[in-house]
Amino acid sequence: MTGLPSRSEARLGPVTAQKPAAAMIEIDHVSHVFQTSARQDHLALSDISLTVADGAFVSILGPSGCGKSTLLYIVGGFVQPTQGMAKMKGKAIRGPGPDRGPVFQEFALFPWKTVLGNVMYGPRQQGVKYADAETQSRALLEMVGLKGFENFYPKELSGGMKQRVALARTLAYHPEVLLMDEPFGALDAHTRTRLQNDLLNIWERDRKTVLFVTHSVEEAVFLSDKVVMMTRAPGRIRQIVDIDLPRPRRRTELLLDPRYQEYVVEIERMFDDGDESELRP
Amino acid sequence: MMKRAAPFLACIGLLLVWQLASLALKNDSFPTALEAIRAIPTILGDKDSLINFAASLRRMAIGFGVAVALSIPLGLLMGRSRAVASFFNPLLMVIYPVPKAALMPIIMLWLGIGDLAKTLVIFLGVSLPVIYHSFAGARAVEEKMLWSGAAMGLSAAQRMIRIVLPAALPEILTGCRTGLVLALITMITSEMIARQSGAGNILFNALDMGQYDTVFAMIIIVGAMGIGLDALFERMRARLVRWSEPQFDIPLSFS
Amino acid sequence: MNTRAIASDLLLGVIPIALLVAVWQALVSFGYAPVTLLPPPGQVFLRMVQQLLNTTYQQEIAATLFRLFAGFSIAVILGVTVGLAAAVNPAINAVVRPIVRVLAPLPKVALYPALLLLVGFGHQSKILLVTFDALFPILLSTYYGASTVEQKLIWSAMAAGTPRREILFKVVLPAAAPSILTGCRIGLVISCIVVFLAEMITSTDGLGHVLVTAARTFQAVDMFVPLITISLLGLILNGLLELLRSYLLRGFPEV
Repeated sequence: MTGLPSRSEARLGPVTAQKPAAAMIEIDHVSHVFQTSARQDHLALSDISLTVADGAFVSILGPSGCGKSTLLYIVGGFVQPTQGMAKMKGKAIRGPGPDRGPVFQEFALFPWKTVLGNVMYGPRQQGVKYADAETQSRALLEMVGLKGFENFYPKELSGGMKQRVALARTLAYHPEVLLMDEPFGALDAHTRTRLQNDLLNIWERDRKTVLFVTHSVEEAVFLSDKVVMMTRAPGRIRQIVDIDLPRPRRRTELLLDPRYQEYVVEIERMFDDGDESELRP
Repeated sequence: MMKRAAPFLACIGLLLVWQLASLALKNDSFPTALEAIRAIPTILGDKDSLINFAASLRRMAIGFGVAVALSIPLGLLMGRSRAVASFFNPLLMVIYPVPKAALMPIIMLWLGIGDLAKTLVIFLGVSLPVIYHSFAGARAVEEKMLWSGAAMGLSAAQRMIRIVLPAALPEILTGCRTGLVLALITMITSEMIARQSGAGNILFNALDMGQYDTVFAMIIIVGAMGIGLDALFERMRARLVRWSEPQFDIPLSFS
Repeated sequence: MNTRAIASDLLLGVIPIALLVAVWQALVSFGYAPVTLLPPPGQVFLRMVQQLLNTTYQQEIAATLFRLFAGFSIAVILGVTVGLAAAVNPAINAVVRPIVRVLAPLPKVALYPALLLLVGFGHQSKILLVTFDALFPILLSTYYGASTVEQKLIWSAMAAGTPRREILFKVVLPAAAPSILTGCRIGLVISCIVVFLAEMITSTDGLGHVLVTAARTFQAVDMFVPLITISLLGLILNGLLELLRSYLLRGFPEV
């Protein structure tokens, strides 16, 4: 069986990619503590160190509450870690910016703007002239399959369509890194698979760096080059699994590919074992 | 601790601003805060004033009490019965925008000057928000709760009293709080319009007679009444509905 | 909305008014109320048309409307500004909160005599009273709307390159618009009521003054006319605000 790491071969901690690509994102001993409403301290993340190479599609996979979204928000600059630091291209991340574009599970579209208005927001913020921004945005909307819906308001769209708009809106300001926080979690299974395919097609075009948070093993394996498995809170990196499956990935082919199946099974088994070892005294 | 002291600090701050402003303006008709405060004991000590105050409070209490007693059942009934709602809704919608205190002269024409007219106006003013909030609260009660009650053998009347009423209580109490605010305002306003007795009357008498200290002292007293009543009501409300989630309907103030 | 729905809504809305008029007419015709105290609707309606065509009456309406608009506008500008500021800036919040908590339950109409003393008996005192009364619902609604803006909207805008100082205008304000406009609607109703009442208490012109004058001369018909006029004005203004609201909030999902 080629490419499938056994448990002993799987590595913990920073990972080096096969070709010497630049490190796009470095997460350096990040820990994060929350204060809950009950005035208690909640350790969400514990000593996370991770390197993400340029152009890599990396999934962060784990059960609910393991802090994976928090990790994403730290990379996004929305949250400052209580310990440690996140860096992009060597520079410390101090706040949000158009180099790291988020796509949220709740879509977070501006309800007072039309679809086109939402997508044009980023370019206009960058100072792009209205006419140019409009042309670019229309092209983007066509690419995500929403031609004809430019003048609709978000409330008139289905969940899947809203997420397409959210994706287009983020792509419109050309971020080098895409931060996706369980973007398909609020959608039904059918729409989810469609959007997974569409996401890969779009990603193939310019191969941005992607950090993709999910709790679905199949989704993680299908989409990514690397799966970062996290433990329950306090979140630590349990294992990093290289996914050595050829691209472009087609769902119909992959579902029948035994290597895909083995990855999924292996990862699920690792989670189960890990859970047991946590439960064992 | 700072948070609890904050409203008191705000009071003192406002009084300070007043004091400084009146000193700066040196206007005869604008007494300083201290002068106004000094006039308060005189007012409270005066027998006539106390009779006026008592009359005001009595009217307010009766108007509020009767309004609440009648409005809550009506609102609850409207909330659970479409027929009752369709019957009363249009009527209430027409009455709502009319300022109740403005009805004073007309009511006075019919009922003469005196307690009845003013109490009636307070009654009308309080009824509407209480009816509306009881209606909204009753309507929002989950059907399934009532089905459970019916399954347990409760009659329609029992369900109303033992399920709908408690469930709608947070909303009802919000309505009562609005009603209380309106009762105070309507009381003062009606007394300012139909000058015969009451706090509003004292205010304008003092204005007419040039006793500006008294005017401003009365404002402080009435203001204190308003704040005091509201605070008391809030305390009672919080205790009665400790179990409910915070209400954000029309924010009356920071809770 | 299709025309049938709109038509049936209108019809439904007319029925209560028609009913009320019918009851009114019945009371007069069947002798339950003497004509001097409750004139028949027909007479009132005729008088109203007469007055509306009368330039003096039109001037009274203009006076009332002017004060209403002035007071309401100031309340909107002040309320939205302070509400937004308090929502985004903790220091301002700490100062504003206690002040609002103290002033909100205070019956602002009690301040009216003070206003009369300070700024005279003309337009200003009424405009200021309207402002004080309409301010708080607008401020509180703005504050509530601005402080409950979805965090991810702000994050999305920041990631798209919006600098922090622009977030207030580009995200918080539009996102809080539904809440702000609800507060404005309440503020408008309050403005209508307060301006009328203030004119009833002391004024030389305006609709409230017309009512009080008619009361003094026992002209029942002339008492109804300004009352109905202010109610109609309130309904029209509210309708206009609703139209503005539906336009501004056309993208927002219905609540």
